[in-house]
Amino acid sequence: VIGAKAARARPGNPAARPGDDFDYDRALLACANGDNAAFRALYDREAAKMLGVAMRLLKRQSLAEDAVHDAFVNIWNKAASFDPDAGSARGWIYTILRNRALNMLRGESRLDHQETFETLASMVADDDPEAIVSGLSDASALRRCLDGLDPQRRSVLVLAYVHGLTHGELAGRLGVPLGTMKSWIRRALLSLKECMG
Amino acid sequence: MTVRDRDDLEALAGAHALGVLDDAEMEEAERLMARDRGFAGQVNGWRERLAPLDATAAPMTPPAALWQRIDASVRAGQTAAAPRRAAAARASWMSGVWERIEFWRWSAAAGAMAALAMVVLTGAMLNRWPSQPVMVAVLTVDGGKPGAVVESFADGTVRLIPLQDIAVPQGRALQVWTLRSRQEGPISVGLMDRAQTLRLDLGRLPAPSAEQLFEITLEPESGSPTGRPTGPVLMKGLTSSTL
Repeated sequence: VIGAKAARARPGNPAARPGDDFDYDRALLACANGDNAAFRALYDREAAKMLGVAMRLLKRQSLAEDAVHDAFVNIWNKAASFDPDAGSARGWIYTILRNRALNMLRGESRLDHQETFETLASMVADDDPEAIVSGLSDASALRRCLDGLDPQRRSVLVLAYVHGLTHGELAGRLGVPLGTMKSWIRRALLSLKECMG
Repeated sequence: MTVRDRDDLEALAGAHALGVLDDAEMEEAERLMARDRGFAGQVNGWRERLAPLDATAAPMTPPAALWQRIDASVRAGQTAAAPRRAAAARASWMSGVWERIEFWRWSAAAGAMAALAMVVLTGAMLNRWPSQPVMVAVLTVDGGKPGAVVESFADGTVRLIPLQDIAVPQGRALQVWTLRSRQEGPISVGLMDRAQTLRLDLGRLPAPSAEQLFEITLEPESGSPTGRPTGPVLMKGLTSSTL
């Protein structure tokens, strides 16, 4: 709840984070140089948000903590390979986290995991895509362009991202053929691209 | 793969950043990124576009132990693999088995038979219960052994009786849950700091029906912070009607 409020309160492009002077590029550079204090500062800054993201994907706290652990170890080990020309430093950090969490989700226990008590529970708990969209800053391009999509396409994109569901899983959950789901997502993505540029 | 037009590549890049690709498609996207900087740039563009969705996740304060684990891994110069394996080994005795549904289905049936027999036998021998339960769930632990029994009586009383002790670490508690339907999700019906006979608080829920799931998870001392199970499942079982 606190996070959603913070996200709403943040004006403009969230990536710009006005009034926020934490320098992620510099933090990664310091990590690449073996600066433990900078690594700790980055952890203090991002760990709670990263755990929240991992939890939404993996549903179980022990797994989410494993994903955050692995992400930070990777951040430390690969900081030197971060290329500022390829994207933002913060984006790079979250890509590492999401990739790790998605790989864990896609792992051998995925099918079973889908059926566990906890998974079913948390899907019920935070499944409202409209609430997630309304957590986005009003002024963000993503919010504006998602709002412009057909509600069902919007839901599918949001659920896919925050829960890490595949085309096949989305098709199963929404009771549509796989080909239909793929074409919905393709069209939704292309509309979003056209809108956001 | 087939020749793609510009929209195909754009949609593939977007789908990869979105995380909807299956294993084979994901590997293909990764290969394409490695050899085509333009495509890698498209994927990164999508990651930046979708990133604000990450900010909508409610932050969760990590336990102090998480930093200690990260710090230890980094200082030891380890890669991610070693601590993962350690963590998996730690969790596996409880959660690993439970995530294998086939095992669970089998052991639930076997465990239910064994413990149901035991419950009925004990009740008949001691003859000290006010009435026979109308519904019994046998919660089984690793190996299919009965770990606890949930009994539901005609007067609406529901109680849990442990059949074996459970090690509860300092600062943690055992939370009892029931699941009536997927739509409703699990509902907390009890919290205890050690395995003990406990009257379950079903609140306004109707009396348990057949095939209703009960389970016990390990949670923080004051119960799950999310109102849903977060810790490892220690035991679970489905209700059956008594004869």
